[in-house]
Amino acid sequence: MAKNKDTIKDLSLCEGIKLSKSIYETKENRLLTLLIKGFIVYLLAMGSIGFYLSALYIEYNQVLCHVVIFVMAIFSAMLYYRLLTENAGYLVVLFLFMVLVYKFRTYINSGFYAIVNITTDSAAQFFNIDIQRLYVEQIENRYVTVTFAVLFIGIVLDIFLNVYISRRMQYVTAIFAVMGLNMIPLYLVAEPDAMYTIMVLGGMAMAYVFKSGRHYSPQVSIKRDDVKFKEKGKKKKEIAYVYDIKAMINAGIIALAFVIAVVASVNAFKPKDTFNVGYKGNKYKELTMAAVSTILMDGLSGFFKMSEDVGGLESGRLGQVSTIRLDYETDLVVQFTPYNTERIYLKGFTGVKYNPYANNWTRMGEVKDTVDSFSCPEAESLKYAYEDGYPYASMAIMKIDNVESDVVYRPYYFYSADTNKRFLDITYYPRLADNTYFIKGEFYEGNAYTEADLYVPEANIEAVDMIIDQLGDPITDEDIVQSLIDFYQENYPYTIKPGKTPYRKDFVNDFLVEKKKGYCSYFASAAVLIYRRMGIPARYVEGYAIDIDQIYNGTPIEGAEFENYYSGYTELGETALVSVEVTDADAHAWVEVFNMQYGWHPVEVTPYATLEEDDQEDFWDMFADMMDDSGDTGDDAVENAMGVNKVVNKLVKNAVYGVGAIILIAILGLLGIKLFVYGKNLLLFIKADINDRLVFKYQSIIKKLRKRDKELREKLNYREQLQYLTKDIVTEQEDIEKSREKVLAILEKAGFSQDMISETEYKYVTDWCKEHL
Amino acid sequence: MENIFRAVGYAILLAINIIGYWFLHSHFHFIVLVIMVLAPVFSALTALHLRSKITAQVSSDCLKGEYGVQNQESFFTIKLNNPTWWTSLDVKLLVEMGNEFFGTSGSLTFSVPVYSKKGYELKVPLVADLPGRLTLTVKRVKIKDLMGFFFLKKNMDSKGELIVLPELIKQEISDKTYFESGMLESEESSKKGNDFSDVQEIREYIPGDKLMSIHWKLSAKRDILMVKDRVSMSDKQLVVVPELCNASHYELNTILVTTYSLIHTLVKDKLNVRLMYWSKNRFEYEDVRIDYVEALDAAFAKMFYEECYKNMDEASSHMALVHPEMKSYLHVSASGGSAMVIVRENG
Repeated sequence: MAKNKDTIKDLSLCEGIKLSKSIYETKENRLLTLLIKGFIVYLLAMGSIGFYLSALYIEYNQVLCHVVIFVMAIFSAMLYYRLLTENAGYLVVLFLFMVLVYKFRTYINSGFYAIVNITTDSAAQFFNIDIQRLYVEQIENRYVTVTFAVLFIGIVLDIFLNVYISRRMQYVTAIFAVMGLNMIPLYLVAEPDAMYTIMVLGGMAMAYVFKSGRHYSPQVSIKRDDVKFKEKGKKKKEIAYVYDIKAMINAGIIALAFVIAVVASVNAFKPKDTFNVGYKGNKYKELTMAAVSTILMDGLSGFFKMSEDVGGLESGRLGQVSTIRLDYETDLVVQFTPYNTERIYLKGFTGVKYNPYANNWTRMGEVKDTVDSFSCPEAESLKYAYEDGYPYASMAIMKIDNVESDVVYRPYYFYSADTNKRFLDITYYPRLADNTYFIKGEFYEGNAYTEADLYVPEANIEAVDMIIDQLGDPITDEDIVQSLIDFYQENYPYTIKPGKTPYRKDFVNDFLVEKKKGYCSYFASAAVLIYRRMGIPARYVEGYAIDIDQIYNGTPIEGAEFENYYSGYTELGETALVSVEVTDADAHAWVEVFNMQYGWHPVEVTPYATLEEDDQEDFWDMFADMMDDSGDTGDDAVENAMGVNKVVNKLVKNAVYGVGAIILIAILGLLGIKLFVYGKNLLLFIKADINDRLVFKYQSIIKKLRKRDKELREKLNYREQLQYLTKDIVTEQEDIEKSREKVLAILEKAGFSQDMISETEYKYVTDWCKEHL
Repeated sequence: MENIFRAVGYAILLAINIIGYWFLHSHFHFIVLVIMVLAPVFSALTALHLRSKITAQVSSDCLKGEYGVQNQESFFTIKLNNPTWWTSLDVKLLVEMGNEFFGTSGSLTFSVPVYSKKGYELKVPLVADLPGRLTLTVKRVKIKDLMGFFFLKKNMDSKGELIVLPELIKQEISDKTYFESGMLESEESSKKGNDFSDVQEIREYIPGDKLMSIHWKLSAKRDILMVKDRVSMSDKQLVVVPELCNASHYELNTILVTTYSLIHTLVKDKLNVRLMYWSKNRFEYEDVRIDYVEALDAAFAKMFYEECYKNMDEASSHMALVHPEMKSYLHVSASGGSAMVIVRENG
């Protein structure tokens, strides 16, 4: 319990000796101790954020974040100086913080999503899975949005950690607070930069040492006071110092230096890059990895098998987060003899009718008057060519072990297959590049295609036409097909994280107009409608695509004869029978178009994946731009191109103003507090009797002088103070010693006696002080 | 107990980290593991080094020159010297304090930090209710290691002394002692000519007597001239003999205060005084001539090294035997809690 100053008495040590209560009047600069605590909070807050982001190689403006989080940590710590500043200050800060968060919520949200998406990406790479559960980042400039998110998290951590560090140095809570999320990169075998390791561990070490020293916080036992010593223990007589800034600095430096030395040594002798070389992994961790990857893909619902578990793409549903479950387990085992280097498509679903807003394709066979392509007149033609001795024709046999799925997948152009869904022996007639054989129309029992293969829903016409306008003027069907492929390649980047299609939006329209990026389903669905709009019959197909590298990595099957699996023209010569494991990662969507030469044939419209370019601008350039209010450039094109950045600039500008407002309000708050204290003291002064007024006046003079005179701070009583202050005064007009004694006598009378001093004495002392002090 | 809890807590954190390292095999956990293993060793080694080098010095610091004053604040300064780079956030100083003259003592523990390369300077403000020779001894220091697992003890015997002089009671001494000792005439004489003298007897006038010696009031009553036969004491000094009897601390304090104030007043009045006190150790009188205040302080400072005794008349009982030439002296003793200053005839 804090002792009221009036109740503090000399402590009796033995008969005749007392410890003077003036020991409790020794002050310590509490503000500086708060600065140290603020520094610890900064190390922990910024260290933990930097830990996470550096481990996952997420870029952001580090300098700005360090500065803002440091200033905020110090500021938050200093609010603990007095109860009033703590309560009022935190209210003001929280209010402004909420205003700023509301103002920049889009940036902060986007930043959070960016961090989550990057984490998900890293997890996808680590687990070797394809995750499409990604969040939409409304603002694409991750450098800026992540910076905003970091500032947000940093400020929250500053406030949160200060509660535990400044008050009670609760390092355990701090450790769990800052290290909880940082287990994610460590789980993904991503290590942070050494600097952030040092910051986190240094902060923890400092907090631990201070906590162990037990002289860190006055708030617990002595209420917001600057006293340096306090009485401790009831039975034992002990006078303990409350806190000491120099000791804290010493211990803090030693703790930090120790951490730096250890981190540097460990990094020198066992660098993180080679740390896990030869390590075979922990089987218990591996056990958890399946569960974690399920959560990543399907969330907790993945444990309850709520999503379809069919393996590959075959539903025709679009834009949902988890219509398929990529478990990376083998879906199909395919055996065949390679004959060229082209991608091999295994078709499982053919969509004919697109349903806008429902965002799905209706399966062939469920639409009236459509031709089931599985009847495959193209295969009939190619078989005929093969049997007729056409030089580039060939026949092949493929064995498919359908491990996972109930759906039957078949290659182009299959002719026959048994009815066993699990193990299929398929005879097919592949069309190699040199095979330009014209299909025979007679094999089509009816029309080769129907109206349904040319149908474009009304809802999609505007978006489709917008693209067609940009394709130029291709004349032939081949030109049309190729022009769209080129257009996609140039303008619509491939991404596995386009984000979920917003509620009540059409999948194709959203892709063509808003997102302008996506993965195979996006490109194929839109391409089907575009081709149809341009008069080319087209269908949407889902299945698996096996690339040549997978074939090369396949397992050769010894003892198999080439001629038992392949005959006719081949680009690769005689090859071994290989077995390829097909997983969800090979799931794909593509387009089938019809022409008179090839019939229905696959067209690959999905662009090659390229690294997404981040149109990052240096933050300080942006800052300079933001501060430059020179007005419009007059160039509309530039103006439009810079539109996004202008919005960014405006928001950053508001952020700067916001921070400025916080600082201004903080300053005004402190001034207000000072004014309040001054007013309160003035009121007390007016109400006080003449003795108290004199003591008050004298104390205020001494207080002012103490601020600039360190030695004077050690002078504790009137005599010491007056002797010290008048030691250099040499005057001939008066005996300074004599007048000082008189002043001393009056002061002691005013301070310690029941007798009232006279007005003359009051005036004498005040005049004397004015003249000599 | 606190140390045990801390060690257990640390062991739990270490165990959590070991599990984390075993499970994740991360470089970070490895670093933490190294730190957590080395930190207690480092902490212990620094504490050991600190203990081996730390020294303590005790000095006194008074407002009034080299002596303290009763009921006023005086200071002992404990200086811990630490030549090492290490620091400790909690060094417990086991301090014994006492008044050697009165034979009182007590102990106190101070908890202070120790700075790297500097140590620490602790100013201990004391108020002595009793005058005498105050001592402050740092008997032992207990150094807490940085991790807070243990205290390392180091015995010391750094001692400081502080002489606390009795407080001066100006008003009381002039009223009380003069009145009690029947020295009003002397005071009168002193005021007139600064001649401290005593009225030895009153007799009938003999031609040749000074007119100023005539006791006019008595002569008027008796109708015959009577004169005060004075014995001047200026030339043979006033002897003050206090009893250093420690039967009661309160009475001894009263004797000391009275003696000090009496002599102080006399010295201020430019009288030469001899302070004589009985030395129990040497079994003789200590005789100090006091011509000025500083000599008075020094005499008391020296006196405070003496050992007190239990008999209130110890000093006066030896006077006739040891100093038969002395006719009279001022004997300061106490009875019933208050001091008595009596002119005593020797023999």
